Amino acid sequence: MSHTLVSLACHAYGIAAVVYLAYLVRQKEVLATIGRVLVGGGLALHGVALFELLGVQEGRPVGLAQGFSALAFLLLAIFLALDVRYKRPVIGAFLTPLAVTVLIPGLLLHGGQSPLPPGVRQPLLPLHITLALLGLAAFAVAAGVGVMYILMERQVKAKRFGLLFSRLPSLEFLDTLNRRLVVWGFIALSVTLATGAFFVTSTPELGWHWDGKSIATVVAWGVFAALVNARIFAGWRGRRVALLTMAGFCLVLVSFLSSYDLAAPTAAAMRLP
Amino acid sequence: MELICIGLSHRTAPLAVRERLALSESRQLEVVQRLAHAPVEALWVSTCNRVEVYLSAPDAALARQRVVAELQSLGGPEALDHLYEHRGENALVHLFRVAGSLDSMVLGEAQILGQVKDAFERGQGAGAVRGELTRACAAAFSCAKRVRTETAIGRASTSMAAAAVQLASKVFDGLGGKTVLVVGAGEMGELAARHLKGAGATKLFITNRTLARAEALAVEVGGTARPFEELFALLAAADVVVCSTASPVPIFTKENVGAVGRARRGRPLFMVDLAVPRDIDPAVGQLDWVHAYDVDDIQKFVADNAAARAEEAQKAGVLVAQEVARFVKERALREGTPVLARLRQRAEAIGRAEVERTLSALGDGLNDKQRKSIEAMGRAIVNKLLHEPTSRLRAVGPEGEGNRLAGAAAELFGLLEGEEPADAAAPASLPTAQAAATGAK
Repeated sequence: MSHTLVSLACHAYGIAAVVYLAYLVRQKEVLATIGRVLVGGGLALHGVALFELLGVQEGRPVGLAQGFSALAFLLLAIFLALDVRYKRPVIGAFLTPLAVTVLIPGLLLHGGQSPLPPGVRQPLLPLHITLALLGLAAFAVAAGVGVMYILMERQVKAKRFGLLFSRLPSLEFLDTLNRRLVVWGFIALSVTLATGAFFVTSTPELGWHWDGKSIATVVAWGVFAALVNARIFAGWRGRRVALLTMAGFCLVLVSFLSSYDLAAPTAAAMRLP
Repeated sequence: MELICIGLSHRTAPLAVRERLALSESRQLEVVQRLAHAPVEALWVSTCNRVEVYLSAPDAALARQRVVAELQSLGGPEALDHLYEHRGENALVHLFRVAGSLDSMVLGEAQILGQVKDAFERGQGAGAVRGELTRACAAAFSCAKRVRTETAIGRASTSMAAAAVQLASKVFDGLGGKTVLVVGAGEMGELAARHLKGAGATKLFITNRTLARAEALAVEVGGTARPFEELFALLAAADVVVCSTASPVPIFTKENVGAVGRARRGRPLFMVDLAVPRDIDPAVGQLDWVHAYDVDDIQKFVADNAAARAEEAQKAGVLVAQEVARFVKERALREGTPVLARLRQRAEAIGRAEVERTLSALGDGLNDKQRKSIEAMGRAIVNKLLHEPTSRLRAVGPEGEGNRLAGAAAELFGLLEGEEPADAAAPASLPTAQAAATGAK
């Protein structure tokens, strides 16, 4: 049941991606409305599927497939919220294809139930995972916005007044949006790290070890902490920040992927910190 | 006398060449006076997008040679590679199109007419523009007025200043809360200030070498005038800078703009240079946080919007063709029979026809003395009616104001349609004459 719903949602997102790309070219308001309805409808179906799934899994997505699926859901939820708030549907042309790319592995892989060590079956675990995914989704959107910023800046600097120049939002808007997303993502990442650290200290059998995931997460946190500080105190902005956001996002993505046993995606055993 | 236009514009020459030919008003006058030895007339039109010389000369080849030599000495041999030339009716069409803003970088922009008018007045003041060029310019101005009122070409926001505001919206998300600095309080500066204020700029500073002009403009558009000495302090605070000064050298260089970078803490700066020669050195755009645009960049930007106005430009082109044809016809008539002679001929013919009708209506009941009195009355009416216009036209002479008056007279009395026979004009006055005759009975 849930797989069918997610599949339907994926189709809706796919059509929405085509519609938003058409909007990028044609700028017809009706296309933006269709895209919004498709994403909204897809999110509703996807939400029902995730709710049903998580209800039987102690409130947490299990395995890489569900991880990707939840990530795509959050990414599009953030996009829809931004679209409703700022009325810049052109962002959809960049984010909906990204979300579909993230969701497809979620559909193709079959996530299995992973056995959890008894020590980490804590009430805080769903919060830890949800915040981690939310932070990752916020950074994904921020990185997408960063790509848009770099594209737009190249047009503005090179004085190329083509399609992208006329369609993309202003540099200031993209930079401000990037800042907000990074701040929210950074808060989510910080809480994720704090809860993760709490699990390690409160569950002696887990023990702290510096594996790829821990290193990538801590380095990513460091990058974003530096970024947020540089923005606030040194006035950093623009291309430099967009590039750093993308680098930080890659690190968080590595951390996300390291949470799963990639060698056995069908088993999709989840490794906790 | 033949009309010639020699020049270069944004269509043919890069900014680097155009700015070498952007002379100060006094130098323009010097050049024009060198070129306009009677009977040659010369008009020097110089805007940020074009430098053109219009000549009315009996020996077109010689006049052309002198203009080309002048342009070469001012702009270097490279300038000659970018020259275009129009002669006769083509030169007229070009002048009409330029004045009507159909040849402008921003199609339909309003400034060009004022700039051509200024050039015309300067030429007249220097005695370089007299008969033929005066008539051609007057016709071009009236054509430009028709283009503005009868087509929608000027209605869209198509000025350079408007284009600059549109470009700013690609860097900033609206001008609300932004600080804008307008450097130079001339016509272009004024337009820029109005557009920027209209686009919602919160703080508008205007600076000019002559503070009084900046103050006058600030009062008019609702900005704040600041002395030119504060330029770089203002630059540190500004988000958008629009320059349009007559400075022969760049005001802003990479070094002096870069020096305020630290105080700005990476805040982006959008700079638009509407001046020729440029006020902003092109190297300024290399600074990471500066987005600098000059007039050629703006042309590139507005070229995309040109298609939207193509239809209106087509209508305007038809108007130009009509006006040029009309001017050519007027000139042919003018050169054929002087207006005064034609006016007198027409009035006397009408007078004679009416006297004849009246006499024949009165029949044989009149004696010779009465007949002669009526004929004398007809002649007296014609003479008295024509006395004032004749003496006025003679007093002002054949050129300048005289030209304008003669043209108006020709228009008012319908002398442009060719010589009409007296009886062709008579039917219109027949009922009145008949009524008068009947009344007399």
